[in-house]
Amino acid sequence: MRRWPLSAHGVTRWLIAWGLMCLTALAALPVSAAGQTEELLIGIEPEHNIFKQMERYRALAGYLSGQLGVKVNLTIMSRYGEVIKRFKSLNLDGAFLTSYTATMGIRELDLQPVANPVNRNGESTAQGYIFVRKDSGIRDVKDMEGKSIVFVDPATMEGYLFPLAYLRQRGITDPEKYFNRFIYSGSHASTIFAVLDGRADIGAAKNTVFDKLVDNDPSIAQELSIIARSPKVPEITLCIKNEIAGDLRARLSEVLLRMDKTPQGQNVLNQFEALRFIESSKADFATVEAMALEALPGTAEHGKE
Amino acid sequence: MNTLLRPLLSILFAALVVLAAAPPDAHAQKRIGVILTGDIPYYGAMHERFIAELGRRTAGGEKIEIILQRPFPNAISWSNAARKLIAFDVDLIVTYGAPAAQAVIHEKSRIPLVYAGLYEPDQAAVAGKNVTGCGFKVPLSSIIRYFKGFKAVNTLGIVFSSVEEDSVRQYETMKELAAQQGIKAEEIDIRSRVDLDKLKTKNWDAVFITGSSLVHLLLEDIMEILRKEKIPTADIFPDFSEAGVVMTLFQPAHLQGETAAEMATQILLGEKPGNIASHTFRDTELVFNLVAAKHLGITFPINLLIEATEVIK
Repeated sequence: MRRWPLSAHGVTRWLIAWGLMCLTALAALPVSAAGQTEELLIGIEPEHNIFKQMERYRALAGYLSGQLGVKVNLTIMSRYGEVIKRFKSLNLDGAFLTSYTATMGIRELDLQPVANPVNRNGESTAQGYIFVRKDSGIRDVKDMEGKSIVFVDPATMEGYLFPLAYLRQRGITDPEKYFNRFIYSGSHASTIFAVLDGRADIGAAKNTVFDKLVDNDPSIAQELSIIARSPKVPEITLCIKNEIAGDLRARLSEVLLRMDKTPQGQNVLNQFEALRFIESSKADFATVEAMALEALPGTAEHGKE
Repeated sequence: MNTLLRPLLSILFAALVVLAAAPPDAHAQKRIGVILTGDIPYYGAMHERFIAELGRRTAGGEKIEIILQRPFPNAISWSNAARKLIAFDVDLIVTYGAPAAQAVIHEKSRIPLVYAGLYEPDQAAVAGKNVTGCGFKVPLSSIIRYFKGFKAVNTLGIVFSSVEEDSVRQYETMKELAAQQGIKAEEIDIRSRVDLDKLKTKNWDAVFITGSSLVHLLLEDIMEILRKEKIPTADIFPDFSEAGVVMTLFQPAHLQGETAAEMATQILLGEKPGNIASHTFRDTELVFNLVAAKHLGITFPINLLIEATEVIK
């Protein structure tokens, strides 16, 4: 028998590559607006289960194509933050971005935030949690010295930027020296499981993923203790590039904001696991921008390892 | 008489002065008694690392003799092993697993004891001024979580040995966790080979194997029965012998071996065990055995595989 060391990143990459192939094939299939000359290519940041994510977004893309009379294609990225790096090379017209990448996109690419989905709990925002096992004996930052910490990805607010800012506020300016191990899991759920299993002592991840896992398995709440919470910021935002014609941008916004008013739109929202979309603006990202400056002072390019 | 006695006394005095001024023998021998229960690969890995680390720490210093006892996992054998080491008047006793440590403590010897491989040492009856050591804790709830990730689990068999206190504690904890999740837990108490027949009587959805020495001595037989019944298993000891455990969540052995060696060295240098804090390791590794799973017709979802630190295929 052969033992193969398996890194979470390795499997994630494989999974996403497979997902990309599926999406490429899907993109080639005619959607309801087949035959139209105009097209929009929208990027998506990967979630823990990209197969499920693909299904959700496919329904939305089909609806938007039909309503706009413009074929909407989707492409899923291999990791958080890559949308920004590849926006130009992939000729993306827009992307559904998490808060930190949206902040970077607004600043570096002058992207325009259009709308945020409101999830089934009525929330359009998310926040970061820093958590430990209850039996770990860790209560605050001073107990963390010499322990292991797991982040999600350098391009996430909840799983990197927030814990970094939190540590810096408490005098920890070099986490790589303060902790004995400093790792990235690649997804919010993996970060939570790593701490649950004892594969890491401290974790930082998004509250919506955390709460969903707790809903499915209440024992998680009994085992983990949340020791810090970030401010709430938009969870997912559709941002589009400035070059998109003003009328198309306005129509896109209108279609999204009115989706919950029609049975067809409600049906798609249900598949998308959202109640409705709400309007977004650049001001929504001021908190993240301030956090980035605090967490990574003097760093010109945020979100890079 | 005086003419003969004076030079003799002078020589004797000079000799005493030289002896008093001489450094202590740098190669004086210390003896460590070790109780390594049965032939448990997990404990074997700890001991291997203990010896290597001890050698590194004491290189060039005192010679150390290791007296190894390998008792069968039962109360009489553990007790006999402890008594033998006490009779040898070793300088230090090192044990792996809770029952061996408890057998030494039961003898009320003044010989210092360093334990390793104990499950939740702070919950075990191993405290004492001559005792220190290290152990581990594995979050058992994760085992249930991963089981449910690839199979519906309504009944969970728990293999343990009622002659081993830490194995009983693991059984009780797992039973409580299973109840919280609406899973019916059933005990499979292994006290001797005869008890293996208990494994043939029921068909559980999954079976959890506690960290019992006796159970692990019989692991291959246990796995053979469960394989025939197509029941997936999880263990908190690594499956070094590749008996076919589908999922293992364990604390790596080398850290406990190294820590035990560090503690042993400190004690041999004169530190009192009571001054050395015990330690519980909580870091774990998660291994999925895809070969064993395939034999049972189980396919791991990719989301589950992502969490593994290692897969066997």
